[in-house]
Amino acid sequence: MTERIPVFLAESLTKRFGSLCAVDGVSMSIEPGEIYGLVGPSGAGKTTLIRMLSGLTAPTDGAARLLGSPMPGGRRGVEHRFGYMPQERAVYRDLSVAENLLFFGQIYGMSRARIAQRTRELLGLMRLEDRGRQRADRLSGGEKQRLALACTLLHEPDALLLDEPTIGLDPALRREFWDHFRELNARGRTILLATHYLYEAEWCDRVGMMQRGRLIAEGTPEHLKAEAADRSGQERPDMEEVFLILTRAPVAGGAP
Amino acid sequence: MKAYRILAVTERVLRQLWHDKRVLAFMLVLPAVAMLLFGYSFSGDITDIRVAFIDEDDTDLTASILESLRADDAFDVAVLQAVDDPERLLFESGYQAVIRIPDKFTSLYYAHFAMGVATSAQGTIDLTLDESDPQIAATIKMGLADAAMDLGEGGPVEIDTRELYGVEVRFIDSFAPAIMGLVVALISTVLTLLSIVREKVDGTFSRIWVSPVRRAEFILGYVIAFGLIALVQSLVVLTIGKTVFDIVINGSIAWAFVCVILFAVGSVGLGTLLSALAQTESQAIIFFPLVILPSVLLSGMMWPVQAIPRLLRPLSYLVPLTYSNRLLRAVMVKGLAPWQEPVGFVGVLVFVVLTILLASGVLRQSAGERE
Repeated sequence: MTERIPVFLAESLTKRFGSLCAVDGVSMSIEPGEIYGLVGPSGAGKTTLIRMLSGLTAPTDGAARLLGSPMPGGRRGVEHRFGYMPQERAVYRDLSVAENLLFFGQIYGMSRARIAQRTRELLGLMRLEDRGRQRADRLSGGEKQRLALACTLLHEPDALLLDEPTIGLDPALRREFWDHFRELNARGRTILLATHYLYEAEWCDRVGMMQRGRLIAEGTPEHLKAEAADRSGQERPDMEEVFLILTRAPVAGGAP
Repeated sequence: MKAYRILAVTERVLRQLWHDKRVLAFMLVLPAVAMLLFGYSFSGDITDIRVAFIDEDDTDLTASILESLRADDAFDVAVLQAVDDPERLLFESGYQAVIRIPDKFTSLYYAHFAMGVATSAQGTIDLTLDESDPQIAATIKMGLADAAMDLGEGGPVEIDTRELYGVEVRFIDSFAPAIMGLVVALISTVLTLLSIVREKVDGTFSRIWVSPVRRAEFILGYVIAFGLIALVQSLVVLTIGKTVFDIVINGSIAWAFVCVILFAVGSVGLGTLLSALAQTESQAIIFFPLVILPSVLLSGMMWPVQAIPRLLRPLSYLVPLTYSNRLLRAVMVKGLAPWQEPVGFVGVLVFVVLTILLASGVLRQSAGERE
């Protein structure tokens, strides 16, 4: 086994807001080249975990590392290699599509020529070619989401943290997003994404299931399915069933 | 710190404003409207002040005082019989002032001439004045002094005269600097506040803080954008002031611009500070009157700070526009360099340093305890 620095690393990561423990002692390690899916219901702590890994939120306890650098303190060395898509889509509604991309390119120090080139590429990829001059608040929900993803990918980060990137998309568009993810992954990008669509977990290399701030199960989709089948005796459970089985009160002699 | 990142923020802010034509129009129309509206309402040509004139001496000399007052557009003079209590007359009849000439006035006036400057004898005019409106009060004092001057070789007539501004400076001249400060403060504070609250609501803040942009770069980007806007707004105010109201600018316009931009910087800081107290845009709007009212009422813009009740006066010194007004008036009206008006200059500098430093802390919080 070669010594590889995990892209995202959480060590007993904990975040408390007052009496609420949003993330409770989560440890996980995402290796280069993985697509890791964080699944769980709203309020399970996925967003807080992602914000701690991105350096936006300081942990109450434990440690977060991004590309080997401790977060939030050590982000300066790695921020160019890292892309984040917040849940709120986070584009400037009063700027046009192209201007949004221009700004997010500029703050990463990209030249105008390079930004223009990447904008053409990404608008093509996201099928927004004729939307360049459109203001973001005039876009449809799906278009806005594609713009949000384009803003995240613009500076060609190696490590991607995507918080609910497919939320609210129609099934066709969701598939298309996943095609993008696999395409990015094929080109060596590491992706950690949160979703509450459980069936999307099937498309990940590894899945972490969260509930009430804890990481309660982790593994490849096949591994999780086998474990769920083991516990419940149910044959070939789908991901929703897997989640329900694994998050139920632990059965004696649980996970190895 | 990288200039390109600062300028990226600046460019983005300007582009956003450019897209919102309503805000853009507001930014350019506000200084124009403010200058025109305030200019016409307060251009200093106060007319028809009701004044009671009581002549107990009744000589040619006192008649000429009456004549001078009547010739002055500012006054609407009513000649009354002697009264015991001028104050009551003032309260009950709605006169702004009661001017009473005592019966020995003429003889004392001439006695003074006859005996030379060594004498203490001199003509005295009793002036009972409604001080509730200092501009009107000042007009009356000046009008009466003028009338007394008309008597002869600068006749030694005693009136208690307190001048608010220099005699040659009209109200409008000292008003233009205040409008400049007000407009710049409003736009910079309110739009910075709204813009940053929007970043929070829309989540673009998260994107900024995971990017290489530093807090100082972010603030500087805003400062440059609103500094440029402040410059344009000042030009609008000055152009209208010059063309419509023919204001007199004795000082250096360049210094005035430097001061206005400085004030805009502080206002951006204030807007950033206030953004910490609002989570949504509708919460942010609550702060608008909080910014506007004290600036208009307490800054010495409409009436001198000395005219504000002692109890409220300390508040005046908490209003940034108070210092901006002193500074800009000193620079534009009196023709001084900024540091020759130390209170205004230091006040504005403290405002800038304090708000920008605190704003930086506030952004750290908004960034989600990032560091």
